[in-house]
Amino acid sequence: MSHGNTPAQQNPILNFSPHVPGQSHENLQHHGQQLGIRQASGASAQSTAQTPHHTAAYSPLVQKVQNSATLATPAPHVDNGSAAGLLASMTKNGLLGAGAPSTLRKVSGFRDFGSSRVGSTAFEDAKNDAYQASVPAVLSIAELPAAEKLRLWRHDALMQHHYRTAEYIGDKVYSMTHDPNDAFWLAQVYYNTGAYIRAVELLSHDNLDASSVMCRYLTALCQVKLKKYEEALDTVGETNPFKDANGDHPKNVDGGIKLVSSMCFLRGKIYCALNSFEKAKEAFKEAVQVDIKNFEAFDELISKSLLTPADEWQFLASLDFTELDDNEDLIKNLYISRLSKFLNLEEVEKAHAFLIDEYKLGDNIDVIRSKCDMLFTQCKFSACMKLCEYALERDELSLAILPTYISCLYEQGGKNKLFLISHKLAEHFPKSAVTWFSVGTYYMTINKVAEARKYFSKASIIDPSFGQAWIGFAHTYAVEGEHEQAVSAYATASRFFPGTHLPNLFLGMQYLLMDSLPLAEEYFILAYEVCPYDPLLLNEMGVMYFKKGDYLKAKKYLKKAWEAIKTLCSESKSWVSIHTNLAHTYRKLGHNERAVKCFKLVLETAGRDTDTLCALGFVYLRMNKIEKAIDALHCSLAINPSNQASQDLLKQALEINVTMLLDDDHPLLVSSNIQEKGARLLNRKREGEFRASQIAKKLKQGQESSDEEVADLMDVE
Amino acid sequence: MDASFLRLIGDLKLKLRRSANDLLRWKLYNSSKWSAEALCGLCDEQEINNNHSKQEHVDESPLKNRHSFQKPNTENGTREQISANDGMSNAEYDLYLLASALFDCKEFDRCAYYLANCAHPGLLFLRLYSKLLSWDKKTQESVENIMTLESGLDEAGRYSNDNKTLQKLKKYGHHKGDETKKAQKCVDLGDGDPTSISILLKELNDFLGSGIQKTGLGMALLYYLRGVLYKHQGIPSSAITSFLTSITLYPFNWTCWTELLNCLTRPDESFLLLKLLNEKFVKENTDELFFDGDQVMLRFFKLAIFQEFSGNIDEFLEELDYLLMVFPNFAFLKTQHALINYHYMDYPNAEFIFDQVIKLDPYRLDDLDIYSNILYVTQKPSKLAYLAQFASGVDKFRAETCCIIANYYSAKQEHEKSIMYFRRALSLNKSCTSAWTLMGHEFVELKNSHAAIECYRRAVDINARDFKAWYGLGQAYEVLDMHLYSLYYFQKSCALKPLDKRMWQALASCYDKVGNSREAIKCFKRALQLSVNPEQDTALLYCLAVLHERLDDLKTCKGYMEKCVAVETNFDGMVNDETAKARLWLARYEFKVKNFATSYNLALGVTHGTSQEIEEARTIARECRRRMD
Repeated sequence: MSHGNTPAQQNPILNFSPHVPGQSHENLQHHGQQLGIRQASGASAQSTAQTPHHTAAYSPLVQKVQNSATLATPAPHVDNGSAAGLLASMTKNGLLGAGAPSTLRKVSGFRDFGSSRVGSTAFEDAKNDAYQASVPAVLSIAELPAAEKLRLWRHDALMQHHYRTAEYIGDKVYSMTHDPNDAFWLAQVYYNTGAYIRAVELLSHDNLDASSVMCRYLTALCQVKLKKYEEALDTVGETNPFKDANGDHPKNVDGGIKLVSSMCFLRGKIYCALNSFEKAKEAFKEAVQVDIKNFEAFDELISKSLLTPADEWQFLASLDFTELDDNEDLIKNLYISRLSKFLNLEEVEKAHAFLIDEYKLGDNIDVIRSKCDMLFTQCKFSACMKLCEYALERDELSLAILPTYISCLYEQGGKNKLFLISHKLAEHFPKSAVTWFSVGTYYMTINKVAEARKYFSKASIIDPSFGQAWIGFAHTYAVEGEHEQAVSAYATASRFFPGTHLPNLFLGMQYLLMDSLPLAEEYFILAYEVCPYDPLLLNEMGVMYFKKGDYLKAKKYLKKAWEAIKTLCSESKSWVSIHTNLAHTYRKLGHNERAVKCFKLVLETAGRDTDTLCALGFVYLRMNKIEKAIDALHCSLAINPSNQASQDLLKQALEINVTMLLDDDHPLLVSSNIQEKGARLLNRKREGEFRASQIAKKLKQGQESSDEEVADLMDVE
Repeated sequence: MDASFLRLIGDLKLKLRRSANDLLRWKLYNSSKWSAEALCGLCDEQEINNNHSKQEHVDESPLKNRHSFQKPNTENGTREQISANDGMSNAEYDLYLLASALFDCKEFDRCAYYLANCAHPGLLFLRLYSKLLSWDKKTQESVENIMTLESGLDEAGRYSNDNKTLQKLKKYGHHKGDETKKAQKCVDLGDGDPTSISILLKELNDFLGSGIQKTGLGMALLYYLRGVLYKHQGIPSSAITSFLTSITLYPFNWTCWTELLNCLTRPDESFLLLKLLNEKFVKENTDELFFDGDQVMLRFFKLAIFQEFSGNIDEFLEELDYLLMVFPNFAFLKTQHALINYHYMDYPNAEFIFDQVIKLDPYRLDDLDIYSNILYVTQKPSKLAYLAQFASGVDKFRAETCCIIANYYSAKQEHEKSIMYFRRALSLNKSCTSAWTLMGHEFVELKNSHAAIECYRRAVDINARDFKAWYGLGQAYEVLDMHLYSLYYFQKSCALKPLDKRMWQALASCYDKVGNSREAIKCFKRALQLSVNPEQDTALLYCLAVLHERLDDLKTCKGYMEKCVAVETNFDGMVNDETAKARLWLARYEFKVKNFATSYNLALGVTHGTSQEIEEARTIARECRRRMD
């Protein structure tokens, strides 16, 4: 038997799980009734349980797992680790090891029950006997007093979600002992059953919440659940009362999450619910600073966009991961992979590589999610979608991946898939914001804006901190051209999500549409301060300055946008619009050649468009290339015969065409001369020659270079 | 006939046979057909061998070579041959078999699906090609949906009058916009995996740019596909580059050559391209003693280019003779010969050759629409009727057949029916420019300029080298008195056919109408230069004279008028409107400068023209006699 190798065994906490059936016969019988099924089903488990050397750790469940694992494969768990570890973590011991003990210790730690320390607390402390050696490390259940046995019973019931049993026994214990600890545990039971109000009443009964931090935390938690935010804030205090002036936090001893951190986190949640995001941000930050292990607080900071991209990175850099010992790198890289993908892409990729190489987390949902986010930020939607689908194959309804996936499907127009996923979600998670966000997105793709709005608003009511739903909601107004409503919706979103530039960007866009350029500029600058890397924003700023007539500035921003988008795939809409805008700016600035190049590039990548062709015709006309101008304008009119600008320009061009002299430089005569000379090719004055030489060059190189023009573009500036 | 020629034949036979096989395998059916036809049209090796039995010994080596090439093929079966040729692994070959079967069953999406993640260039080609075909099919279907919907609306009064037809055509015109947009269209099954030209192109470019060895049939096919995609997107320069690369890798893909040709829009481009190709192919083969097969393809291409852009006719005939010697039984070549005669308006000869072609390959419908044009122009309705019957017997649903029938109806002055058949031809083959142009002509016959313009426009959209369509556009706009437009279109047609007198003449009269006399004069002069017998072309001479008069250059004007009148005397009594008018003008002029005797003589000669003119001449004559007396 290789118990020593199981993960459960490696953790000393588990030796003292408080709800373990004892080895005494009466206890066995006692538990035999309670856990009849378990024992009946596991004959071997029972036999091991009866061996004399066992510590209290051998709860039948764990043993079953161990047995089956060791029976199946005699090798230590390192080899069959996944199966054994997985099962072990599913046992209540695993659960307890993660959460309960540390809470218990804290109760004792803060309240200092001294010798009155009993039951579970005593068990808990035993593992720390280095400094609190009151109970022997190995103890027999039979030696315990009666109340203690009841406590074990209660605890076991709680762990197995037998809430009514737990409540029943807990109530009895409390009535018998009037121990505040028992009150606390009874309150825990109430909390688990959802009877928050009873928990609050019980805890405030004997002023327990005043005397114990743990109790206060639980009270506040219940009050939050009851949506009594003001009271909850009163309970936890508006600021951290335990804040250390020096800023250094005592090292945690048990490997769990510090209660102070949990309190800070709760405070943050309350502030969030009260819509004071600045305070919430500080509280969450403090929670993470106090205890790096408080991932939830970190997650709140990131997922609710409370920090700007730059701040996120700065904040992470300020964190101290040393506390985690050998897990330091793992957690640090995991956290890095959650950060904004607008900057420091190399570091994110390094983190990915580290996680995959060192920890084999390549298939882990969070690593995949991070990669998806990266692809999404880079507008590589189809690759992102494929990766999302890969992740969803194993966890079909992973709420972490789904929002990104849904956005991808929207971008790619995958309405059929959206339909299916929306239905699945609505079936399984009717109360999740993601579900209704997905439904809303589906209606957006099929252009049913009113329905889309309804569902987006439903999503944002369910979870007011779900950013995408808010923005989608505002978009529905923008799509219908209702600027006022759109503006107010975006404004709300910008208040809710101070860390993202998108609401401000969209606000600016709305004002741009409404031609209030100063306001637009203001909002764009706000957005720019938050995130100066987004090509979309830079593009809009360029457009804004273009409209203002400040072409040099427009060029500057469009160039920046161009730099930002260079790496992205060219068929994305933003790529096209940036190039078009840049071309128009060149046109206005009188850089004809560059404008022509840009326009051509746009036409080649995005296909023919009447307005682009019209503009190209205009530039050609200005360059006095009449034939090309007429051709371009013709194409423009072929696509849209009612394009007034093209019509006027075409007329102008044709009039010039009439007055052009038929001298030797006239294209007509040149071509006729060429033809006359047949294939001898003596005359090559025209640009046809230029083009062929290009072909020749390409031929010699034996390769194509469609990017040449882009490269040229770079050269000019 | 010498050894090198025989070796050429051997080489060609081998190469064509292989190309027909390869191209068939990679589903380029038309190219394969062409190669196979060429193979069968090659001159008979046996015959040559018999005629030149002495040289048989010399022939041995290449022939033996060929056998050694073929032996493993026949012995180990096609399986070995394919894996040897295309470097496919066993798994890839199995996949190929599946994909190929799916492709043949027209299940393109499935074919593409099974070939996902294939690194083999051939398989990648097959995947992207089937994706393209699937995309094409779907976009076509969606476009047709719109069409049938709209035509359903005015179904009631469909053929009631011309206006309706016009409206329908206008709608066609709008679809033209749709069609240009078609290239940008995304096909999407609603599962977020859209297909569009640009997406395919991107994938292809990613692959081609990944530094893979650029040799072999697979790569050639990929470059060819890239050219096709670029062409769809309307980027001819990149398309040309791709086609050229493909051709240098694998010259025996005839469709690739024709696609390359279709990318050219101006004659000067064609010359440069030819020069380039010449250098390319000749340089590579300098060390070879005989013309190798690749160069034969270039010769074919030269013929095709000449058909489109014309050039040095002697050179053309030289090439043609050479090729006919190599491929005496190749219908394609004979058709080229006929076509050149057609382009040079030598209709009887063209007709004769077409008759031969039909004898040689009776069920070949390609290019027979041109034959029907010839019969139409030479006014042989019975032969045309026979051809129409015959073609519709072979295949009713070929664009060529429909064009022949349309021509037949047009000859019978049943223009509506003719238009209907042209339309049918176009729905069978969208890119049939000649049908668009001819339909435009039919509309002109029906005096429906707007509809005609729409048709011509479609024609030049598809093929900007169609000078007839440009010319038709010019004429139609002239009828509508929109000379600015008309001028531009004449310029276009003139740029395409700068050696055609009619073009310059039309251009000149257009310049004249917009009031730019100087340019008009230049154009007329040019037309006169190109005229077969410039002394005889009174119309041009007269126009020049009038224009000079308008510029107050009476001396030159008088010169031209005199030339005009001189025609009458030089070519025994050839009198027409222009000479009469010139005579009258001269009489008037001489009268003014008081040369009454000359004036009298001239005025007497005016016997042709309107009553007013004759009346005026008489008055002048009378007055002169009075003054002289």
